[in-house]
Amino acid sequence: MVSLMNKFTLTSITFLCCLLFSVNNTMATENVSVPASSLESDDFKWADYKKPWMDDIQIHGFLSQGLFSTTGNNVYGKSKDSVSAGSTELGLNISYQALNNLSFAAQGLYRRAGESTGPEGTVSLDFAFIDYTFFRHSAGRFGVRAGRIKNPWGLYNETRDVAATHPTIFLPLAYFERSRALFVSMDGGQLYSDYDTNLGNFTFKFNLGLTNPADKELLAAITGNPNIQGDLTSDLSLLANLNYEIDNGKYVFAFSYANLALGYDGQALDPYKDLNARINSFMLSAQYNGERLSLTAEYALQWNQFSQLPDPFAPGSTFEISPVSEHWYVQAGYRILDNLQATLRYDSSTQDINDRKGIAFSQNPPFLPAQLMFTHDIVFGMRWDITPAWMLRAEYHRVHGSSTISAFDNPNLAQQVADWNIYALQLAYRF
Amino acid sequence: MDFRLFNTSSTLKKQRTFCLFLCACLFILSSHSVHALEVITHPDNIDQLRQLEQQHNLASVFAMRTLYWPNGERIRVIVMPDDNPIHQRFVKENLHLFPHQLRRTWNRLTYTGTGQAPSTVDSAAEMLELVNQTKNAIGYIDNGESHE
Repeated sequence: MVSLMNKFTLTSITFLCCLLFSVNNTMATENVSVPASSLESDDFKWADYKKPWMDDIQIHGFLSQGLFSTTGNNVYGKSKDSVSAGSTELGLNISYQALNNLSFAAQGLYRRAGESTGPEGTVSLDFAFIDYTFFRHSAGRFGVRAGRIKNPWGLYNETRDVAATHPTIFLPLAYFERSRALFVSMDGGQLYSDYDTNLGNFTFKFNLGLTNPADKELLAAITGNPNIQGDLTSDLSLLANLNYEIDNGKYVFAFSYANLALGYDGQALDPYKDLNARINSFMLSAQYNGERLSLTAEYALQWNQFSQLPDPFAPGSTFEISPVSEHWYVQAGYRILDNLQATLRYDSSTQDINDRKGIAFSQNPPFLPAQLMFTHDIVFGMRWDITPAWMLRAEYHRVHGSSTISAFDNPNLAQQVADWNIYALQLAYRF
Repeated sequence: MDFRLFNTSSTLKKQRTFCLFLCACLFILSSHSVHALEVITHPDNIDQLRQLEQQHNLASVFAMRTLYWPNGERIRVIVMPDDNPIHQRFVKENLHLFPHQLRRTWNRLTYTGTGQAPSTVDSAAEMLELVNQTKNAIGYIDNGESHE
């Protein structure tokens, strides 16, 4: 497993870990030192000077490392009949409440995800925005955020890289890693509104801007060609989410809608140069969070329109496809102890609801296996929150189909296996 | 004055029983309040807390949805760690929530940058000290524990 991580990665992870822990410790000691110093006669100065700094600026972070072993297909590197440590996520964020109605927040993310990021991983600005609340009253507020903002897509997308915020190591298929770049964040603006009533709390978010789709994985998924040279670009896109919670999250209902537009940036002779895509999608979410039992279900339907794809059998001419994909799952979690949770999920993903079993797909050129068009996954996982900060979890997946796996981890599409298993282990830290 | 006229032995008995009952009630109430968990606030914010409790459910304060005191100042929420027994009891008994529900909400705010989580202290003594020193702070203590 170590052989998969080169020296650079190891060094950078170690460095960032040290940074993470030292920041945390500094925060902790500051916390204690403030009351102590206030006992002295100069407490006035300290109370006025130091506290606002401590309270208004918050630093948080998270770290996770996964271990994977599979049969049939690869996940996060070479996991097939072997062990891969190809998933690492590390984030550090800072938020500053400058005024009662003005704040700033930014988060950096280091991410390694198998062959699609390579062993050295990628560093990105996960979000960075200014937040201005321009109207508030006792039951709610209305404001705007500008910059790079996470997309409120379904229940899990906004915090998809923070292990502690979702019940299993692998997110449900509706959030599959291959289309991550499509939904992860948006550069532009967000209008938001909170409204609290006796019947529950409403939150509305409306994102408008450009997505960050320059991702080889997404491009390979759309074109079926992992060797393509150019990059996907974004045209003006929007994403909206209405969230309704009863009893502060005991019951959660959400409706998400996305209208995303993509273009392509390539060389003049690139056969894909006129490629464009339009994606229209909605997701319905429902969740119950009881003391012991949690139940979650989400359903997403996505209308895709991929235009100006070069026809491999008629050079110079193009064609268009418009598959309708569907993702849904039902998930039950049970807290055996306050810090020990078992999760069971049935998960389904279909690339084209008009060819659910991939039969038409497999019978037409390029005659690839039918399982590239669907995935059904039964997941059983156990999560142990060792402390509020540390978490360890393990899970087993029985998978039928390969539509959601990475083309970079599994480059030979014709040899992707239909029925396979995933065994996964993950250690995570957050503060 | 007039009640003497009706002061027969049976009414006396009733009064005595009633007195005993009252005492019992007071005893139960007082012993209950000794061991109860209580919301505490910075001394300057006591009136604000009274006003706030009339308008809002305290759960929405700890869920970071009600962000301001009635006078417009930002509320500073201070809590203990998720696995602290006092925190767990306070969340269940006073807020009628579960600690994991609050954690879910705070994580969403923290890791999307759209809000801030409460400050965390490790002990009741720290809680008392920090709330006492921080303007606009709100926290909680175990009354029973603090009397020990």
